[in-house]
Amino acid sequence: MGASDAEPMPEVVTEAIVVIDLVESTLTSNLFGWYAVGRQVIRDLRALIGEVGESRGLRCLRSTGDGYLLTFHDPQSAERAALRAVEAVFELLNRVAHRNRQVPEERALNLRCAVHLGEGDIVSNDREGPHVSLAFRLEEISRASLPAALNPIPPEQFPLQNYVLCSEEVAGILSRRASPWEMVSIGLLKLKGFPGWREVFRVLPEDHPVDLGRGMRVS
Amino acid sequence: MEAQAPLRKPLALVVCDIFGISRLTAQEGDLVVSAVFREFYEHASRLGKEHQCLMMKFMGNSFLAALENVDNVMPFVISIENLLSQNSGFVGRSLGFKFSLHYGDVLYIETSYGNEVLGEDVNVVARLNELAQPNEMVVSQAALERMPSDYRARAGASESRQFKGVGDVEFRRVSLLGS
Repeated sequence: MGASDAEPMPEVVTEAIVVIDLVESTLTSNLFGWYAVGRQVIRDLRALIGEVGESRGLRCLRSTGDGYLLTFHDPQSAERAALRAVEAVFELLNRVAHRNRQVPEERALNLRCAVHLGEGDIVSNDREGPHVSLAFRLEEISRASLPAALNPIPPEQFPLQNYVLCSEEVAGILSRRASPWEMVSIGLLKLKGFPGWREVFRVLPEDHPVDLGRGMRVS
Repeated sequence: MEAQAPLRKPLALVVCDIFGISRLTAQEGDLVVSAVFREFYEHASRLGKEHQCLMMKFMGNSFLAALENVDNVMPFVISIENLLSQNSGFVGRSLGFKFSLHYGDVLYIETSYGNEVLGEDVNVVARLNELAQPNEMVVSQAALERMPSDYRARAGASESRQFKGVGDVEFRRVSLLGS
């Protein structure tokens, strides 16, 4: 990804880890065809991620089949990488909302996004380690997860798509760095394979200008 | 039916966590673990009713229970602990229960998925549970002060831990071995 590729990379790196999942991508491909719709949708998503990530330290972009694993790196500050990652994800959601208003419904992109910060092992354009797994666990959280949480928000308040969740680590950084985004705790959850309780937060878009769940502006 | 209005009330909050599930999954497989969970849910629910739990909420290998009468807490906890030695689903499987107990004002509400308790004190009892060892109960000072004197006498030395958004929480450990 750009100039940073030329620099020797360490074996282990602290990065912001982002998991983006394309909602109902398999269903869309099965209904409308991979070559007719599915392939273009996933390519559009990859292109949009490249656009929003390029100037924000995007270093790894790996397909997960129905989405992408991304990492963001900042050579001066790992915390800043988390800020850049959240900024990139909201810019991506804004561009997706704009795109969705211009394409037929079956070509719409709807996303679930999760952001975590932690150390990972670098392997060829991929990352490995428990922090990567934790980011995937965050992405898997849905309305159905909330009855099994402590202090949960009402399930009906959890959006179905186009939202951003983050870990306690990222929430701490966003608070400390006085970021423009508000955060709402969605509850304490047990994440498969991880001990103890983890508080998970939803990051709300700046000034809530757009209802990203519906791709609509709200007044 | 009309939904019950939210009610703020002081309650004893108990979190119980089964220790050793990851190892059991690796050694005996997830089918056995599912059977252990079924036993756990069934017996813990029954014991919760017997000890007048206001609500119980199961979450994987854990549950949260809320009781109005603090005097019922220890008999309830001990009855759960006894499952390890008396129930065939648990015997010989090297499992343990980790408990935590806290007392505080919570919002008791009815939700689309059942009764629920909400509030900072719920986070406190969950975080306290992470400090417990198997076959041990970590009790906050707020709960300890309301417990019967014979159980208070069994509590270990005072410890303290800072929890995010709450500050320092004082607690003690009560061993459940031989209860």
